[in-house]
Parts: sequence; C-alpha cells; structure tokens
Amino acid sequence: MIGQQSRPMVEVLAVASGKGGTGKTTSTLALGMALSEEYDVTVVDADTGMANLLFHAGLADVETTLHDVLAADAPVEAAIYDRFGMGVVPCGTSLAGFRDADPTRLRDVVADLAADTDVLLLDSAAALGSRAAVLPIVLADRVVVVLQPTIPSLSDGLKVQEYAKTYDSAVAGILFNRVRDDEAIEDIADKAARYFEGPTLATVPESDAARAARRAGEPLLAHAPNAPAADAFREAAAAIDVAAGESGPVADRFRSAVIPDQP
Amino acid sequence: MKLPRGRLQRRRVVSDVATPLANALDAALTGYARLESQDALLLSAEGVGVLTFEEGIPVVAYHTGTDAGGPAALADIAVSGPYRIELFELDAETLADVHAAEELTVPPGMPARRLAGDPALADRTRERAPAAASAREADAATTDAPGAVEAFLADEAKIEAIQQRAREEAERRAVEWDLD
Repeated sequence: MIGQQSRPMVEVLAVASGKGGTGKTTSTLALGMALSEEYDVTVVDADTGMANLLFHAGLADVETTLHDVLAADAPVEAAIYDRFGMGVVPCGTSLAGFRDADPTRLRDVVADLAADTDVLLLDSAAALGSRAAVLPIVLADRVVVVLQPTIPSLSDGLKVQEYAKTYDSAVAGILFNRVRDDEAIEDIADKAARYFEGPTLATVPESDAARAARRAGEPLLAHAPNAPAADAFREAAAAIDVAAGESGPVADRFRSAVIPDQP
Repeated sequence: MKLPRGRLQRRRVVSDVATPLANALDAALTGYARLESQDALLLSAEGVGVLTFEEGIPVVAYHTGTDAGGPAALADIAVSGPYRIELFELDAETLADVHAAEELTVPPGMPARRLAGDPALADRTRERAPAAASAREADAATTDAPGAVEAFLADEAKIEAIQQRAREEAERRAVEWDLD
C-alpha cells in the first residue's frame, strides 16, 4: 500500500482457455479467493453468452446481474455481491438478457470496477468467436490461460495466447487444471512451457471436491479448503505476482479504449 | 483400411468434436464418423480421420493421410477445429473385419479426451462401454507411450502453424471488430 491512497493498485486479469470444460469458472473463483487473502478482489463473469459463475457462487437467484448493467438498466454497484471475501459480479443466463446486453459496455464496467479494487478477475468466454468473447482478453492487463493436458486444449490455449499478444495483453501464466494421475503431466508441462509465455502457475488435479463445490454453489476454496486442488490453486495465485499500477490512469485506459458501438 | 460407404445420418461443421461424439453415443450409432479438418494449414498430410463406433462406443481410429491407426491416428486427427463431420450408419457385420484389427482400436474414452478434451464425455462413454471395450482402456494405460500430447508438443511446425493462423485471425478481427 502506498501512502494515503486506499486503492493504490489495480490489475485486470482475464481467465481464459478458448475451450469449454477446462474449469475456468472454478479457477477464476479459486484464484480470486486465494488472492483475496492479500488483495481486494472483484470477480466478474464476463462470459455473457454462457454465464455460469452465478451457479458456482450461490448467486443463482439474485435480482441484478451484469446483463442488467450491460443493458444500462442498473449501475454496476447494484450487481456487485460480497461473497466469500470478494466482490462478485455474476451474469444472468437468460437469452433475453443476453440479447439486451451491449457487450461493448463491458469496457465501462471494467473501468468503474478498476477504480475501486486491487485485482479484477474476468471469467472469459470459452470461445474466441465473437467480439464479446474476445473483449475480456483485450481489456485485461494479463491473461491466465487455463489448460488441460490434451491436444484440443493446448491448441486452443495457444490461440488465446496469440490473441492476447495481438491485443497487447501479457500472459500471467498457464494453469493446468483437471489433471489426472494417468497423464504424464510433468513431461507435458515441460514441453508446453516452451511455447507459452509466463510461468506454469500450478498443476491442479482433477477433483471430486470441485464438482461437489459446484453442486453446493460454493467456490472450491470455501467448500473444500483442504482439498489438494485447493492447495494447488493457492499455489497458482501466489505465483501470479500481482503487478502494481495506479488505479486512476488504469481506469482511464479502459475508458479510452476505442471500441465503437455494435452496428 | 477400407469401409463401404454407409448411410449418412448427419453432416455438419463443428468447432468442438464433443458434439458429434456425444451424438453418436446418445444415438448408440453403429457406423463411423468421417472427420475433415477445415484448417488446410494444419493438415500434417492430406487425408481425413475415420472413427468407427459400435452402439455409440468408439472402436477404431484411422487417418487416411498418415496411415496411422489407433491412438496415433487420434493425434493426427486432433488438430484444431473447425471440422467437417459426417456420421454414417453401417451394420455391425460389415464393420466386424475392421474391428478385428487390434492395432487400429482405441480405448472407448480416448477420442472424447484426445479429440474433444472432454473428460466428462470420456467418462460417460467408458461407463456405457461393454467389458471387452473397457479392456482396451486398461491396456492403453501401459501401451500408449509416447503420448499423443507429447508428440503434438514436439511438432514445432504444427505449433507454429497454429500460432501463425491465430495471429492472423486476431489481427483480422481487430480490424473487423474495431478492437483497440
């Protein structure tokens, strides 16, 4: 903490994989909870087309979500819920909500939130097929690439990295998730590290606890804090090495990013 | 490996192979899938992937370009999507000869895991597999070395092609979508 400023730093991290089923949302919430030990953390479900963070965070029944904010029907403050030691901004799942939401407003949401938090985590879409899906990667300072030790996942992770680099976002590291005992993870992680920028943050084992946590509507670190997977996520969070920055200029940067309205 | 043409059930372009694999499983398809990558840059060779099914459970994998069979064929098929996928129905007697070629068989859950990266679908497939097919799963744990994933990561030209294509796509879209 620097001087009298209550929020001397903010870093925006997108959690992305380019592919479904890698456990991105579980990872986002786990990293958020682990980082919240040290930082003021806000987690946003930026996967506006296939939102699921609300189910992981026990927010399935809330009134106001990111959809309402993106439709200009509510201020962002109304969609922030204090849960598990973090600010959580869930997104709705209705088709109507998605239709009315203007994804380009995400830039303003990120700018607003950035002014009042240390770490902003954006749970990103499991695809790179639309502007809305790519936007979190564009807006992030750095991207955490969630991988499984499979060819499709690695291939899509490489794509995410190239998108991030093209849009001047750095790679905070790669995270192998849902790793099974029978996979030669050490060899795979070694070989993968040659192609990815940023460190291998951790190798998280496939975990029944993660599935149980999802069913219970709780983040893994709240539901099973002692599970090996939870330990691995804490290790990953510690390896992220959150960068300091001035919150004012950073917020301005998001606002000035030129993203015209949808045609 | 030669197969007579079956009766076409479905034809579509998908970015995720999980969908047709799940379709085949749920429909208990006996027949085969023809998988053709739409990404000419990434084709390690001309050719298409063929995956046969018995009552929805994958049995044999083959790549017509590299002539690889079994788990090695899955590595050749597993490039980046989108794929054009065709599912054909073919009777079990016709498939019997091909299915007898043990060197071409794959464990039931392996295509879902290797081609789609979908462990849940792999589990679901394994659960439905008959005992004989499950035995292939047990064998594979010891005989599947060096792994397809390691082989993929050792193929620098393939990785470079993926990166190159993604860069071009990202740049093109930055213009298209006015991303800053």
